[in-house]
Amino acid sequence: MAGDSPSFRRHPLPFSIDLLRWLPSSTSSARLIAAAVHDPTIPASSHLHLLSLPDPASPLASLPLPSRPTALRCSRTVLAAATSSGSLHLLPSSFDTDSVISIPSGAGFHVGPVRGLDCGGEEWVTAGEDGRVHLVSDGGDGRVVARRVWDGKGMLGYETARWASSAEFATGGAGCGVQWWDRRKGNAVVAQCKGIWGRGVAAGIVHSIDIHPSRKHICVVGGSSGAIFAWDLRWPQQPIPLSGVGLHETAEPVCESEVWEVLFDNYTQSSDIISAASTRILPVMMCSEDGILAIVEQDERPLELLAEPCAINSFDIDPQNPSDVVCALEWESIGVLTRGRDAMVAE
Amino acid sequence: MPGMLADSGGAIVPFSGDPNHAAPPPPPPPVRPIRHGVAPPISRVFVSWSSGNLLQVACLRPPGPVAAGAEEVAGSVVEVNLAVANGSAEVEEQEIDEAEMRRIEYGSVPAFALLQSRKNALADAAAMQHMHSVSEHAEWWQYVLQYSKTIGKLLGSPDSLPGLMIEDPRAILKVRERPTSLKAAWELLEIFYVDKNLHSWLPERLVDWLADYDSLLTKMDGTVHSKLNDFQKKLINLQVVENDPDYWNGLSAALSVGWLDVVVNMLRFHGSYQLDQMDNRETENGLVEAVAVLVSTMPRMRPDLPTGKLGQCCTSRPDFIKAWEKWRGQVSKLECSAFWIQCGHQKTRDGLKNLLHIMMGNIKDLTAATSHWLELFASHFLYIRPFTVGFEGMHHLAQKCIQLKPSSGNSGLTGLLNGILSENPEVVLAECTKTFGPWMVTHSMELLAADNEYADIMLHEERPNFGGLSIEELHRLVYAQVLSSHSLTWQIAPTYLSSCLNQGLGLLEILLLKQPIQDNRQVLKTLELCRLYELENVSTNIMKVAGIYHWKHGRKGTGVYWFQQAHDKVRLDRIAQQLFERIGKSVTDDNFKQWEGLLELLGSDIGSAGGLEFLHRYRDFKRSLQQALEGRTGEAARQTVEFLIQLMRNPSTPQRFWLPLLHDSVRLLNCKPCPLLNVTETTLLLNKLQELSMAKLRPDFCTNHLPSHALSSVRLALASNLARAILEEP
Repeated sequence: MAGDSPSFRRHPLPFSIDLLRWLPSSTSSARLIAAAVHDPTIPASSHLHLLSLPDPASPLASLPLPSRPTALRCSRTVLAAATSSGSLHLLPSSFDTDSVISIPSGAGFHVGPVRGLDCGGEEWVTAGEDGRVHLVSDGGDGRVVARRVWDGKGMLGYETARWASSAEFATGGAGCGVQWWDRRKGNAVVAQCKGIWGRGVAAGIVHSIDIHPSRKHICVVGGSSGAIFAWDLRWPQQPIPLSGVGLHETAEPVCESEVWEVLFDNYTQSSDIISAASTRILPVMMCSEDGILAIVEQDERPLELLAEPCAINSFDIDPQNPSDVVCALEWESIGVLTRGRDAMVAE
Repeated sequence: MPGMLADSGGAIVPFSGDPNHAAPPPPPPPVRPIRHGVAPPISRVFVSWSSGNLLQVACLRPPGPVAAGAEEVAGSVVEVNLAVANGSAEVEEQEIDEAEMRRIEYGSVPAFALLQSRKNALADAAAMQHMHSVSEHAEWWQYVLQYSKTIGKLLGSPDSLPGLMIEDPRAILKVRERPTSLKAAWELLEIFYVDKNLHSWLPERLVDWLADYDSLLTKMDGTVHSKLNDFQKKLINLQVVENDPDYWNGLSAALSVGWLDVVVNMLRFHGSYQLDQMDNRETENGLVEAVAVLVSTMPRMRPDLPTGKLGQCCTSRPDFIKAWEKWRGQVSKLECSAFWIQCGHQKTRDGLKNLLHIMMGNIKDLTAATSHWLELFASHFLYIRPFTVGFEGMHHLAQKCIQLKPSSGNSGLTGLLNGILSENPEVVLAECTKTFGPWMVTHSMELLAADNEYADIMLHEERPNFGGLSIEELHRLVYAQVLSSHSLTWQIAPTYLSSCLNQGLGLLEILLLKQPIQDNRQVLKTLELCRLYELENVSTNIMKVAGIYHWKHGRKGTGVYWFQQAHDKVRLDRIAQQLFERIGKSVTDDNFKQWEGLLELLGSDIGSAGGLEFLHRYRDFKRSLQQALEGRTGEAARQTVEFLIQLMRNPSTPQRFWLPLLHDSVRLLNCKPCPLLNVTETTLLLNKLQELSMAKLRPDFCTNHLPSHALSSVRLALASNLARAILEEP
């Protein structure tokens, strides 16, 4: 552990960072991050960079992408990036750029931004704004096969996707709330939740979904107008508000703008350990357009970790060392937050 | 845009100015060769502005017979980035590259915003206390100082390199981060305009400033810094330093600008310190050491010294005068000492004496030791007039120094200092604009007006010739335009636009409306700014535009989502109508799922479209029918029939849907052993069927794409159902 109090460092970089993920590090000394970056002033400047901490100034390796990256996920062995044109690129998490496998955009795959991307063991799910959902799996001899699960033909636009188990996944998007898919029931939507949105609006955009590996029936969802809610499949009609609208009036929303990402935070201990067994939603970390990085918990005051003057577009908690959080800031920089054990236990 | 095509090189030559107005010959236009890859002859060139500084140049060959090689290009469009072209700007850009400048721009936003909000708060308070301006508040200059320090830190700290490095004992100048003129200019403004703590020891502060930025003063002529740098390079090969005239020149130069630590360090290089020579050169060494001691104990009129710097601090004037007299006494005593005769080394004797003369303030020696007028200026403060205060005195002195050491290359910093000393904020502003660009002007105006009533009025007075803008607003608008033209920095432009009372809001609206709407995330970022600045009309407009874009590109769901967010009833109604038409045409097709999603999207809050109500019912009917056919449960079938009856009874159900509805249910009606409809219900349906057959004869009847036997099969199904229903009836 670095220290008892949280420390935060900004590293300015000469390009815009859209997404960030920790990479599993094989050696103990190197802390590696995959960053999806682009520079709008230079044509064809979208890249996937391999950065190392504590000094991320110059990328150790990089992979050019055909267009601006829109989704980035890392499994234990594979790093995947999807782009705004609708292509998918898979490479070993060792960042061996020679063995990249790509699926080009087009009628056979996605057209337009692919924002939903997640790894479920053997298969990757992709969900795009074009309304298509694909399952991508290894086709043997270094090829991958994309199988279309659903073509919404533009009637729905997906913004995120997340596996719950090897047979179920959740998707979310604009206006359609959260959908729960079950492969055992003919790759169909088996449950749906509109969500809880504010300001007299019937629907909002779901930007991010996370599902805790030990509680696969609960989705935590972040979206428009500061909405963060949990959706328990056992009570699909009653989403549980975690922040923003739907809470009692005295509770202040942690933010009022777009919640870009949510992740369950294993590092923060639930304030109520005894009853945490099943009913309570575990602590959730979120980042937002108005520059907030915070931990929200059911019936608790949110714990603000950062309040930046610019948007936090993406963040990731190091799975191997969950006290460390890395975030992508709008102003061409990445922030590294190291939490100390004492300071982080919620009061 | 005027432009001419150079003969063979294929270069675009921008030129400006009226050719008839030849009075001052304009500088030769900068020429930028462009690689367009189009073989001559080129018949047409189109030039147009793209975003920011990009110029799009299209070169076309004359249309004619297709040349032999198919590889011949008929024309091409190239983008020229003019930001890199500008001759004088190029030099500055090397000092701070684009990404670094953006980092400064981002970083200065919070400081600027904080200062503006404090200013507004104080202005409110001032209005209550009937004060005239914010600057009358006691705390104001401290706020500005805090702002200035924050920005200064952003521009780079002079000692940011880690102190872990092992220092070379023979290093004359400490290795540090390369100073930038932007930072130098900022500090200069801070010293003179903001920091009231410094007023009693301003000359010493200027000496410190010079120590940090001496290397930036001029690129053409030498400076003390360059002199020492040159000597440092030479030092490695020197066996006996005191024999080299550059050693003594360097010493006197460093002493003249008050770099006492450097002087003492260099004196210790003297050969007489070497152990093997100690015995023979004892007197000589004593003299060198005596001078070193005198140098290191020089009294200085300042509260403290940074670590590593030498001198004896005196906070009050009487203390300083006392110490000064005593020190001067020691210097002259050493100068007249008899030991000089015993000093065998001629160069050492002369060199040390020269140092003593500098310390005694001999103007001739000072002038000889320094290179740039600013160095001479600083040496005056140190050795001749330590009590110089007030701009007038300083300005007078500066003029004298410039006369003595006219400099050819003006770095902008000297121009800035001239403007400051001549109490001419207009000149300062002009220098900032010319040399350091819009960022500097916008942010430095706060410093200028911090404690200067004239500058305050000059900057804030509304000028009719600028369309009622003040100079401050004008520069902020210019800076905001620069930010807006870059797709990474446009998001910080609103901070500056919102501080412009006259035209800022209008330009902000234009900026937001001009943002691309192709990407949903980008739209959300723009909308967030609309929310912050309470521009609801703008956000509604953006949502409508985004909605149309997505609708047109086939992402109907996203399109509808934006229309709903914008509460755009008109377009939603039209979409509902379209949907209605389409379903009306192909109702039997089981591509039901496709428009089901859209129907879901259109939701219930769009009740005004009469057709939609029907579509919702129709959707319910279809769903239930599917369930009934799949599951064959009695309940689902009953439910379906109920929906059917409701639909047929409802007057809002268009006539052209009657037959399709009934045709859809034929299978259901036929497959059940017990009748699903009772007698009255069946009669109702049969009546409708009859009505339909009659309507067929009318000219306005619209046909649907059902098989021709549809009507009869429905009639048969209904009839058999009726028969069974009559039998069942009690």
